Amino acid sequence: MTVSQIPEAVRRPRPATRTGAIRSGNLPRTSMTARRHRAFYLFTSPWIIGFLLLTVGPMAYALWLSFTTFDGISPHWSFVGFANYRELLSDPVTWDSLSRAGVFALTSVPLSIVAGLGLAVLVNRPIRARGLWRTLLYLPAVVPPVGAGLVFKTLFNRDSGAANGVLNLAGIDAVAWLDDPYARYVILMAVLWGAGNVMIISLAGLQDVPRELHEAARIDGASAWRTFRSITVPLLSPVLLFQAVTGMIASVQTIMPLLIAPNPTPAGVTAIPQTNYMYMMHVFAEYFALGRYGYASALLWVLFVLILIATGLIFKLTSGVVFYNVDPEAKK
Amino acid sequence: MGRRRFLALSASGAAAGASALSGCALQVAGAATGDGESVTVMAKLDDIAPELIQQAQKELGIRITVVQDDITRLIAMLTSGNPPDLVRGVGALDAPFYAARGVAEDLDPYFAKSTVLRVEDLDPVNDLWRYDGTAQGKGPRYGMAKDFSQDSMYWYNTAQFDRAGVDYPAETEPITYEEWLEKAERLVERKNGQTTVYGGSYNGVNIVILLTNLVAAAGGNIFSEDFTRVDFTTPEARRALTWYVDYARARVGPSLIQPNPDAWDGPTYVANRMAMSGSGYWLGGMINAEPKIAEVSRLAPAPVFGGGPRLSSCQAGTGMWMPKKARNKDAAWRVFEWFFGEGPAKARAAGGWGIPTLKSLRPLMPRKEEYQQRVLRVQEAELKHFSVTPFTPYTKWDALEALLNQVMPAAMNGRISVDTLAGRLNSSVNEQLKRGKEQVG
Repeated sequence: MTVSQIPEAVRRPRPATRTGAIRSGNLPRTSMTARRHRAFYLFTSPWIIGFLLLTVGPMAYALWLSFTTFDGISPHWSFVGFANYRELLSDPVTWDSLSRAGVFALTSVPLSIVAGLGLAVLVNRPIRARGLWRTLLYLPAVVPPVGAGLVFKTLFNRDSGAANGVLNLAGIDAVAWLDDPYARYVILMAVLWGAGNVMIISLAGLQDVPRELHEAARIDGASAWRTFRSITVPLLSPVLLFQAVTGMIASVQTIMPLLIAPNPTPAGVTAIPQTNYMYMMHVFAEYFALGRYGYASALLWVLFVLILIATGLIFKLTSGVVFYNVDPEAKK
Repeated sequence: MGRRRFLALSASGAAAGASALSGCALQVAGAATGDGESVTVMAKLDDIAPELIQQAQKELGIRITVVQDDITRLIAMLTSGNPPDLVRGVGALDAPFYAARGVAEDLDPYFAKSTVLRVEDLDPVNDLWRYDGTAQGKGPRYGMAKDFSQDSMYWYNTAQFDRAGVDYPAETEPITYEEWLEKAERLVERKNGQTTVYGGSYNGVNIVILLTNLVAAAGGNIFSEDFTRVDFTTPEARRALTWYVDYARARVGPSLIQPNPDAWDGPTYVANRMAMSGSGYWLGGMINAEPKIAEVSRLAPAPVFGGGPRLSSCQAGTGMWMPKKARNKDAAWRVFEWFFGEGPAKARAAGGWGIPTLKSLRPLMPRKEEYQQRVLRVQEAELKHFSVTPFTPYTKWDALEALLNQVMPAAMNGRISVDTLAGRLNSSVNEQLKRGKEQVG
C-alpha cells in the first residue's frame, strides 16, 4: 500500500482526544501531525541517543584531546592549540601511511566490487543448488575480522602454514608471506575472501532489474555482454556507488594488518611489515603504544575530514554515470 | 511532543545508557557471586583462575572480579576515576612509570602491619617495586612480585644437542653470547626454506628489557644517570645491538623478522621444536608437566660477553600494584596478602612457575625428581649473580618496544647498518623520553 492508497477517512484530521496527562482547564489538542512527530521521535530516539552518546560525544572528546598533550595518565598535560595538527603535516610516517591506505583502497575496493558482482551474476543464474552456493560464498563474510585474521595468519605462516605446505609439495621453497613484499597480497586476499558481502548486495540489486528489459534486449539481438553492460550495470549503478563509498571508508580504516600481525599488541603494531603499515596502524601506535592521545586524536580528525572530502568527490565524479531508477512523480 | 520534553527524555535516556555502558565496561570472566566485600583485580585470566576466585570467596569472604589485563582499559578506568583495586604489572618496567605519575599507592604502611607479608621475609627481587622519586630499588614499595626468574638464563634440550653432535654447555660456568649463537647455528634444522627446529630463541621478556640487560652484560648502560636519555652508540650498546641483529640475521630462532607461529617459546620447546630457549627458571612450570621433555631438559647460566661482567638479571618481577584511587583498599590488601603469601603463592612455588618472592616459601620449590634437583642446583648457584637493571620512569615500556620494533627489522634484514640503527634509536627514543619528562614534571 502506498501513501496515496490510504483511505481518505484515515488521513482526515480527527477531533482532539483526551490524553493521559490532562491538566484541568488546559486540554491539549492532539493533532495527527503531533502524533506523527511523537511517533517519529519515539522510534528514532534510540538511534539519536546512541548517536549522541557514541558518535557525537566521542568525536567532540577526540577534538578536545587533539588540542592537548594528554597521555591518559600523567598529571602535567597542557593545551597546545594546533601544534598536533602542525606536527602531523610534517610527519613523514603520517603521509606514508596515508598514501599506503589510499593505494590499498584504490586496489581493494574495485577488486572486491568486481569479484562480488561476478559472484552475484553467477549465483543469480538458474544453477543447481543455487541456495547452497549463495550460502557458501557468503559464509566468509560473516566471519568476524578477528577470526579471519587468525585464519590468514595461520594459513600463511612461513614455517607452519598450509600455503607453504602446498608450495613444498610442488617442490617450491617456502615464502615469507607475512613479511614484505608479500604481506600486502595476503591483506588483499583477506579482503577478496570476504567479497560475499558485496555479492549479497549486488545480488539484491540484480534481482531488482526488470526482467522485461533483458527480454527486450534479447529480442533486439543484443549479446549477453552487451545486455550486461548496457542494462544491468546502469541499473545497478546506485548499488555499485553505495559499495564504492562504503568500501572506500572501510578500507582506509582497515585494521586487518594488525589482525594478521605476529604480535597484535600496542608494542607489536610497529613491527608490521612496511607495506602494510597503513594509517590506522599509525593511529593505533600513537594512541596505545606511545600514549600520545592528543596527536592520535588529531590524526583521526584529519582522516575524518579526508573521508568526507573523498566521499564528496566520489559523488561528484559519478553524478553523470549513476542511474537512479526512481519514479519522477515520486520526487515531487 | 515538544522539543524540550524530547530533550529531557533524551537526557534521561542518555543517563540510563551511560549507566548501562559503564556496566558493560566491566564485563569480566570469572566473577564469583555472593555477599560481602568486593575487589576488582585487573590480571591475566590464568593469574587468578575461577577456582582461585571461589577459594578467595570461601577463605576471605571477599568477592573477586577479574578484569582482563589491558593497558588501554586500565587507562580508561584510571581516567574515569574508577580504577581496579589491584593491577597486574611488570615490576622491572611498570613500577617506576606508575609511581612517578602518582597513580600507585604507597604500600609501606600495609607491609608494616602485615603478619603474612613480613618485610624481612621479602626476597630482594621485590625491590624492583620500590621507587624513591628518582631511582628504582629504593624508597616506598608500590607493589610486589608474585615470583621471579633470572631471565637471561636458558633451557636446552639434550636430545637435540645429541642429534646435532653439539657439546652441552657447562651447568655452572657461563658460555659467551657468541658461543651461544654458534651452538644455535649448529642446532637449527631447516627443510624447503622452512625452519623445522629452532636452534635457539633469545628474545628476553621483551626486546626493550633484553637490550637493556645485554648492554649491561657488555659493561655499559643505555640510560643516562637521570634516565632522561638513552645512548645506543656507546661501544657496549653497539656490541649488544650487533649481537642481537646477528642473532636475527642468522635466523636460528624467532625474531621480529621470523615470528614464532606459537607466539612464545613454551609450546615450541615442549614440542621438541626448539633446542635452546632463553627463558628463566619459570619455564620449568611448563616443562615439568611434560616428563619426557623434563628428563632431557637442562637449565644453564646466563651467557656473558667476553670481558664483560657476569650478570644474571631478573627482567620482569611480575606482580601487582594498588592504584591510589582504589575504592576498597583494605579488602584489596587482604586479597594481596592472600595472593602473595598464602595458598596461591604456595601453589605457584610448588609448581615451579618461578622462584617464590618470599624467602620462607623457597623450600616448596620442586625437587622430587632427579632432573628437578639438577635444575634447582643450577638455579641456586646462579642466584649469586642476581642483578637488576633499573628502568626509566619517563615512558611506558610498550612505547620503547614499539619504537625499537619500528627500526630493528631494517637492520635485521640488512637494509641499514648497526650504526644507523643506533642513531635512529637514539633519535626516536630520546624524543619519547623528553615528552615523558615534561609530563611527569
